[in-house]
Amino acid sequence: MWHIAKRELSNNLNSLRFALATVLLLGLMLTNAVVHLREHPERVKRYRENASNHQNHIAAHASNGLYDLAQEGPGYLYKKPSDLRFCAEGGEAFMSDRAQAGYHRWSTDTLKSFWILAYPSATPNRDNVRPEVTKVDWGFIIGYVLSLVALLFTYDSISGERERGTLRLTLSNPIPRHTVLIGKFLGAFISVSIPFILAVLVNLLVISTSSGVHLDAEAWGRLGIIFFVAVLYTCLFLALGMLVSARVQRSAVSLVILLLVWVVFVVFMPSTLASIAGRSTSSGPTYDFSERSWKLHEELSSDYYSRHYKEPEGSTKRIEIDGEYVTKDAEQQEQLHEERLNRRIAEVHRARAITRISPVTIVQNLIESFAGTGFERHLQFLENVQTYGREFRTFIVDTDSADPESLHIFGVRTGMSQEPVSPESVPRFEDTLNLNKDFNTAATELLLLTLFVLVLLSGAYLAFVRVEV
Amino acid sequence: MLRTLIGRELFDNLMTFRFAAAVFITLLLVVANTVVLLKDYEQRLTAYNKAATESHEALREEKTYARYAGALIVHRPPNPLSIFNLGLDKQVGNKIEVYHAFVPTMWDAEKHGADNPFLNLFTSIDIVLVFQGVLSLLALIFAYDALAGERERGTLRLVLTHPIQRGYILLAKYISAMLCLLVPLLISLLLSIILLTTSATVALNADDFLRISGIVLTSLLYVSLFYLIGLCISAMTRRTSTALMLCMFVWGVLVLVYPNLILTAVEITPKPDAKISVYNQIKQTWEELERKKKQFIRNDTVLSLPSRGGEDMDAGFGLDGVEYTFWHDEDKPSILLYFHQTGLYAGKIKAESEPQVPHVQNYYSFYNRETINTVQRTWLARKPALEAIYIQPANLGRMLLKFSPVGLYDAATEAWAGTDLEGIQDFFSTVQRHRRAVVDYFYDKKIFESRQWFAADKGTADWDALPQFSFQRSDTGINAKRALPDMLLLLTMNVILFTVIVLIFIKSEV
Repeated sequence: MWHIAKRELSNNLNSLRFALATVLLLGLMLTNAVVHLREHPERVKRYRENASNHQNHIAAHASNGLYDLAQEGPGYLYKKPSDLRFCAEGGEAFMSDRAQAGYHRWSTDTLKSFWILAYPSATPNRDNVRPEVTKVDWGFIIGYVLSLVALLFTYDSISGERERGTLRLTLSNPIPRHTVLIGKFLGAFISVSIPFILAVLVNLLVISTSSGVHLDAEAWGRLGIIFFVAVLYTCLFLALGMLVSARVQRSAVSLVILLLVWVVFVVFMPSTLASIAGRSTSSGPTYDFSERSWKLHEELSSDYYSRHYKEPEGSTKRIEIDGEYVTKDAEQQEQLHEERLNRRIAEVHRARAITRISPVTIVQNLIESFAGTGFERHLQFLENVQTYGREFRTFIVDTDSADPESLHIFGVRTGMSQEPVSPESVPRFEDTLNLNKDFNTAATELLLLTLFVLVLLSGAYLAFVRVEV
Repeated sequence: MLRTLIGRELFDNLMTFRFAAAVFITLLLVVANTVVLLKDYEQRLTAYNKAATESHEALREEKTYARYAGALIVHRPPNPLSIFNLGLDKQVGNKIEVYHAFVPTMWDAEKHGADNPFLNLFTSIDIVLVFQGVLSLLALIFAYDALAGERERGTLRLVLTHPIQRGYILLAKYISAMLCLLVPLLISLLLSIILLTTSATVALNADDFLRISGIVLTSLLYVSLFYLIGLCISAMTRRTSTALMLCMFVWGVLVLVYPNLILTAVEITPKPDAKISVYNQIKQTWEELERKKKQFIRNDTVLSLPSRGGEDMDAGFGLDGVEYTFWHDEDKPSILLYFHQTGLYAGKIKAESEPQVPHVQNYYSFYNRETINTVQRTWLARKPALEAIYIQPANLGRMLLKFSPVGLYDAATEAWAGTDLEGIQDFFSTVQRHRRAVVDYFYDKKIFESRQWFAADKGTADWDALPQFSFQRSDTGINAKRALPDMLLLLTMNVILFTVIVLIFIKSEV
């Protein structure tokens, strides 16, 4: 078996395709590294600035007392950029890098709206009229280029030998056919891996030796998993190549079939499926969000004004009605925002489920999850934001109940604790990346990919065992 | 002789597996995508119609002219040819306010309805994209063994023993392969056009068919270029397997890698600090207007009385019957948009306030005229800045893409379809002209200084007399003019490549 693998390897290493693949992969990976080094420090710097703005925001309002802090909220909450952004761009340009916790919506003579969690509704990239392209990240290099290279290395592995007649020669030796197949597979696998590993090493070398970017132990672990995913994905296409090569008599035909399958499944299927998915979902309810928000507020305020003036000025009852109005309004509006967000997320989930038929989408989703970018990561960020929102609210309630002089009526200045709040005690938002959670979301996709590989490998095996030489 | 050669080549090509596969795959992809794209277009059209009716009605609910702010909205209809090349048609906003306090540009436009921003995560597709990927691949598959294969089999030597010029052999090969490649292209296009015409919502006129033929012609140039690239490789190499490998890598680089790589590698994002200064300049101009406004009120003997609110517009100049005051402003530093307008809405003005009304009218005459002057001044700064920030990088990106035939093909078909940057800009310049027409109408009819500007008691606004907005896509001639440079480039590349191949082939030993 090793003999066959070695023979395959030496055949491949001297070939033109090996040289071309090496040059192509090296060039792409090098560009990727250079671009990452150019962009990433800027990104990190911007995040730091924004995070310190958040700190300052809290400090400024904490010093004005509890009511001010509770009314203003914690301000903008920013998503932490992933250090592994070079692995997968993940459409980060189309997702907002922040959530808004508190903004001024309305005020009356005595009352001000309370903070709510809100999520930007437009794409940050909307104003852009530049031509749309896919960024050259690992996801692109692995998903498109590496798969094409894998096919180019295997399309003639069996049919080519059959054409030249060397297959008959090999099989005349007392070796079982599956050994021949595994040997060939290993040979092709190693010859595809060499340029890829070389390119990855160069890429990581450039990135890790630079002073502007720092990769910690966890990041290296993630890179390891991404590399494993890439290997699995390469195996998928190697197996596909061997399957077709074993079934088809001529290698030219084999290549034509493989290329067409590749073009359909890798290049066009994701976009076509996404168009179908995106279309079927946006035909849902198109009610105007702002209209609904306005209507809810109107109903609440008309109810409020009818009750408000019945109570004498300055009475506790009146303060209670005021407080109820403000807090109820914030609750309603926040719920509305959350509903819209959840509806949108559900749409994307549906669309992503459909596009998963294409192996390239699976592998890009996987790389995204482990690189800490993309949609799943965005969901993690939103969850972090919501957890923090609850934490912040609990802090306000706790601080208020610790003050015996307070009336414990939220939403009104006079109803809340007048004690100064120390800025240090206020919880701060810190966005985190959690590998365990990534693994859970990625498990199904990993399983699906493995399944694909196994099916194709056994298909290749069956085809080769039955083939007549 | 040439006919015999073409016949032989044609026969050779038509009976192959690759020809069957080519037809099948192109048909499959084009038809499947046409169905999807058609549905998408219909949906966008429905959204457009719904939005247009809604804004039509919303405007007619307003009683005073001043309230046309935010209510006079024009909509951009989806382009039916976006099915062929989507371009910017879906990306750019399609709903824009017409208001005298700012000049509408494509960056001020919003999207219809409840669009989900996350859906932008998925890449979009169009028919040109399918052709771009599949036809180029097919052309190379047809070409790689055209010369190298015959050389390997020894038939080339046989053919050359006949008294034929070598150029004729090449020409025969070229013509027959192009005929073969035309089959999937034309059949699939025909099917998609049939699908389009059977749909009730898509109305294609004669001009559209001219534009589609422009797209077909460009596709032909594109396919031919890739065939010639393949032929060139085939002429230079001895073995078909080498030719095939080279062809595949050339395809990978030109179609897949280069467009993405170049725009990743070259930084074309503008400097943000350049924006800030222009934005501040615009904001200052508006603040100056605010000062002028206050000065005007101070100088007016009636309006400046403290009991009437003085400089504070929110008090409604002490007019009895003012229902509410409003302000309309936008503050978007990212697109250099800033404006601030205040106004009031009076239902029925009571008799004792009547003496003030001429003063308020006078004030509005001044304020609106000054606003329009301010807009004109800020536009002088905003227009070049927007160009520098958005248009120039976009054009640079498109220019860089044109180093690959893919970029040329995309740009030319976009221009034919009218979904390119210029085609979209046509719409927004029409909107700008419409704004100008509305402003002129307000001047002509003295609406800015009329009572109906802010009060609804003596006659209400007549919206039907307002200039109507209509947008016609540019003439086919203009589309052709925009597409021509790229098509000429493609043609030149074709000619050069063919000459090179002839030279190589004539000099080569068999």
